[in-house]
Amino acid sequence: MFTIMYAVAGYFFLMLMVRLLTRRPGAQMTMFEFVIVFLVGGVIILAVTGGDRSITNCGTAILTVGLLHNIVAWVKARSPRFGALVDGTPLVLLKDGAWVDEVMRGMKMAPEDIMAAARMKGINSIFDVKYAILERNGTISIIKANKEAE
Amino acid sequence: MSDVAFSKPVKDSVPKINDEVAVGEDLGFQRKWWKFETFMWWMIALVLALNFAGFLGRGPVAHATLGNNAMLVRYERVERTGTPSILEVQFQPNTLGRGQVKVHVSQSIVNELGAQRVIPSPLDTAVGRGGLNYTFSAEEGPGSVQFALQPSKPGIFHFTVEVPGSPPLSAKVIVMP
Repeated sequence: MFTIMYAVAGYFFLMLMVRLLTRRPGAQMTMFEFVIVFLVGGVIILAVTGGDRSITNCGTAILTVGLLHNIVAWVKARSPRFGALVDGTPLVLLKDGAWVDEVMRGMKMAPEDIMAAARMKGINSIFDVKYAILERNGTISIIKANKEAE
Repeated sequence: MSDVAFSKPVKDSVPKINDEVAVGEDLGFQRKWWKFETFMWWMIALVLALNFAGFLGRGPVAHATLGNNAMLVRYERVERTGTPSILEVQFQPNTLGRGQVKVHVSQSIVNELGAQRVIPSPLDTAVGRGGLNYTFSAEEGPGSVQFALQPSKPGIFHFTVEVPGSPPLSAKVIVMP
């Protein structure tokens, strides 16, 4: 019983911590952020399984987390508000050649992060970026400026 | 023709920026989230400060002492599930020196607080009066007995320690998850 309770608490605690540690997973994750994710994950495992390392106990913890994840995904798909709470909303970092300073500061982003995403799209100058959008999954979408049209 | 029914028409429901890029940004929500985030970081700092002080166990605030004319009991008023700790019964000089000393402890010391062993080993252990009665060999003071505790579940538990002929000492222990 305690394993299930600890797994539920651990899942929501980890979700909150990941959400608080800003949105830079996956492609945007630096080595520094990998350290945090692995360290926090390791500590949560210790707390959830405790001293009981049996397959029954660890399997129960995995099943609990799996079920919770499925329920959260189900609710997310039906409630955009809950989805925003869990994943955040897309945020515009650069619009029409101007930084959206409030968002850049709030999300602790640096111009170098946007340029890294721009380079992935073959853009080598910030002036060629019309929009930079921080997506819910942490990646940065770049929309090129259409110079001929301007 | 496929049998799959596409009955829900596509709607342009995602809010746009500059009326050209569908992003779905919700800056109002994000501003609220930043406020919540700031609040949570302060809460985290508070929890860490409380932890450092020992309010969550294993710190200066968690150490406690009870005493009467027969003994001093040093214990942790905040324990943690599965974490070992020591409950020490230190006898006053007038309690020792009779060759033997008897101590009665409540059953909660074994059941809820998870006594793993008693140091030194008692000469005799008897059950009764809702607990355990230990008899230790004793010479001149000072002298003490230690109970190695390891609580197995969280909760709030009471314990009692008594030397026959003196008032019992009771206290409450909070076991954190």
